Amino acid sequence: MKKIFFAAFALFAFACNKIDNYPAPSDTITGKTLDEVTGETVQTEIGGGGTRVELLETSYSANPVPIYFQSMQDGSFNNTKVFGATYNVQVQGPFVPLIQMDNSGNVISDSSQNIVLKGTADLTFKVQPYLRVQIVGQPVINPDTTVTVQVTVTRGTNNPGYQQDVTDINLYVSNTQYDGNNNYDPRYSARSSYSGSTGTALLGQTLTLTTVGGALPAQDVYFRVGARINAGLNEYNYSVPVSITYP
Amino acid sequence: MKKFIIAFCALAFFAACRKLDIPPQNIIQDQDIFGSSAGIQAYMARLYSELPIEDFRYSPARGLNFFWIISPTPATTGEAISRDQTSSMQENFGGWSWDIWGGSYTVIRDCDYFIQTLPTYASTFSQAQVSQWLGEAYFVRGMTYFGLVKRFGGVPIVNKVLNYVPGESADSLEIPRSSEEACWNQVDSDFTYAMTNLPAVNGDYADGSRANKYVAAAFESRAMLYAGSAAEYNTITLFDNNHNQLCGMPSNLAAGYFQKAYSAAQSLDGVYSLYLTAWSATDPNAQYQNFVNLFSDASSKESIFVREYQYPNSVHGYDAYNVPRQLIGPNGYSAEVNPTLDFVEMFDGIPENADGTIQNLDATGHYKLFDNTMDLFATAEPRLRATVILPGDAFKGQNIEIRRAIYTGSSAGGISPLLPAGSRAQYPTSQLVVSSTAAQTPYTLPDGTLMNPAGLSGIFTGDQTCAISGFSVRKWLNPNLPTAQVLENNETQTWIEMRYAEVLLNRAEAAMELANLGAGGSLADAMADVNQIRSRAGAVPWTVAGPSPIDTIRKERRKELAFENKTYWDLKRWRIFAQEQNGREYRILMPFYSSTAGKYFFDARTDERNDVYTYDPRWYYEQLPGGAISKSTNVIQNPGY
Repeated sequence: MKKIFFAAFALFAFACNKIDNYPAPSDTITGKTLDEVTGETVQTEIGGGGTRVELLETSYSANPVPIYFQSMQDGSFNNTKVFGATYNVQVQGPFVPLIQMDNSGNVISDSSQNIVLKGTADLTFKVQPYLRVQIVGQPVINPDTTVTVQVTVTRGTNNPGYQQDVTDINLYVSNTQYDGNNNYDPRYSARSSYSGSTGTALLGQTLTLTTVGGALPAQDVYFRVGARINAGLNEYNYSVPVSITYP
Repeated sequence: MKKFIIAFCALAFFAACRKLDIPPQNIIQDQDIFGSSAGIQAYMARLYSELPIEDFRYSPARGLNFFWIISPTPATTGEAISRDQTSSMQENFGGWSWDIWGGSYTVIRDCDYFIQTLPTYASTFSQAQVSQWLGEAYFVRGMTYFGLVKRFGGVPIVNKVLNYVPGESADSLEIPRSSEEACWNQVDSDFTYAMTNLPAVNGDYADGSRANKYVAAAFESRAMLYAGSAAEYNTITLFDNNHNQLCGMPSNLAAGYFQKAYSAAQSLDGVYSLYLTAWSATDPNAQYQNFVNLFSDASSKESIFVREYQYPNSVHGYDAYNVPRQLIGPNGYSAEVNPTLDFVEMFDGIPENADGTIQNLDATGHYKLFDNTMDLFATAEPRLRATVILPGDAFKGQNIEIRRAIYTGSSAGGISPLLPAGSRAQYPTSQLVVSSTAAQTPYTLPDGTLMNPAGLSGIFTGDQTCAISGFSVRKWLNPNLPTAQVLENNETQTWIEMRYAEVLLNRAEAAMELANLGAGGSLADAMADVNQIRSRAGAVPWTVAGPSPIDTIRKERRKELAFENKTYWDLKRWRIFAQEQNGREYRILMPFYSSTAGKYFFDARTDERNDVYTYDPRWYYEQLPGGAISKSTNVIQNPGY
């Protein structure tokens, strides 16, 4: 009887000691999404509403289930836990898609990249953002402790498929730098929606946006301007977040 | 001995072989179901109970056929705010065991099986019975595909029973998604079959709980309207490797779909009619009462297709979740759906400013004062009162008392707004006497009488089980249900999934869309349809076309079908959800009592909780459940997920 018990325990012991038969993913994909004209990274928001990287493991299937990971808000990305394999890589976000299709689903241009990942791959994607949003100068604190920001919004692409009207230009206020349409303080953020071509008429001008809701609280805050056109998944293009120190 | 052996062999082998080859006794056989009309009825009961309709037991958070409705659909569309719903949301597939994918394909398989098997047993029944039952199976299948395509775009079309043979490859069972266009056409063809084969009156149940040809036509009008809108307004596209467009359709298909919607709606002319039993052209109270009765009168000629409930097998708890706080039932809840001021302002007969917002201030910028909270709504459209409980209105023999606080400041020279216009700040704490819960300490008014700081139905500052918007929902509430019976899982009030008012609105919208596309249809037709609705509602008739007639039709639809779980799908198919909820904070109307003036005033402001609604445009096409893709990698995900 005792023997049987020992045998049973031995079985459990072995089960516990079994290790995975495949090493954990340890390769790295890192890189940036760059505006092909300015050479700066394309700002985005964190979370599901911003730029993401798509990996297609093409070596085993022509129609693989995609793997995604999210870009950082400054437009760079870094994933250190990727299996070494053969990938087709592209980025998706508030810019002209890297894979262009016509109305019947035929690929007419494809700037995705094919890599065999071994160690680290550093990838740079040059894209045309829908809009370029640039804050002019520094935010100004007004006498009533509201804050005024000057900004220019211009088109980032001449592609005729992405010349839709500007629908929103928003000044976001947040107490962290992770400031965007998914994370802002609604009490102070100044948001404007436009219908028809009224928003488009503001392109190229220096716009003056001022926080709403009265005096800002006495703490350091971040300002960021986001703008979008009605294209694709309606994602926002953003300026670099700027902060001011409360006087 | 030999004889014995032979006999034994005969017994053991021949007899045994026959004996073993019998159908398993524990599995119901086709003959049991398809051999009698009682069996067919049992099959139908299951098909109908699984119909994907958004009824009393639906919410985007918890799905279909789920009892617990505390994140109600209207609180996701801006019709209302609710303490348990604080933002926009997509449907929560997979949460709360909602299996939209597996559930829908189970129903489709059940329909396919029925359609394949019934003809074998056709000789048992009359031709009319067979034709009707097949029509019903096609109707249910069409409804199920409709439920899928309005959520996901193109889905796999499976019109025959698939059988897995153990040991063989399952590749042929992994059906890829068809194009969105093919799926809408599948819905069209299933409904068209049903319209052709169903009788004018269902031979088994004529009370609207089972389909007839007009029921199928009514849903055809809804489905084709959705399809036309998707073709016209969608901007999201997805192709598979074989150039099938899984999301989105060529916009030139819109006119064809709108035409089908129009024709289907037209075919109900003279068969169903708007409910006018208690209505009077001159009496707003009769118009109000008529609109209330519409939702409970079983003899209504407006009800086209209904879902019935039966205690204790199939029940819901609408009243328990939604009665005003002062009528709270024994197991709690109440006041889950609190209509927003944005919604209330859509109706006629409320004093309004030039921009359409409610006029609660006088010309000098001070609050208007009222003896009674209902005075502000004295001339409101009767349909509004039948849809929303306004502060101070009567329900179940009580005045529904809604008050935010008692204002103790001076009223000499008028009361200035408590907060600057547009402010999202909290109300000042000085000069306001509030109550944090329903257990109130009465305040002594200057004349010595006592008054609770808040109304019996709210608003309480620390307990959101009350009218947090200043309003409470009225539609569907049963005025005859004793408070002791206002319980979860206890109610059997019938859900009206399709009523003639919607058919008229489908027709009006299709006519206007066709007119806008230059493909037939007319504004006059649309106006006549809308005016039938408006006349019954006691609203102002539509006489001047205005700059955007389609918006007038849409607004009418949102008013008429509010709190019927339809607006959610309308905002989606018009592709305006993201504009409606673009960082939106919904507005509320707070009644206050001025102790020094002895009168009421109203403050209009944004939701005190500062909840922000932002609809993500990706949600126009829902995320396929992960299980659907891991089961069949031929199924590909929608964009952005």
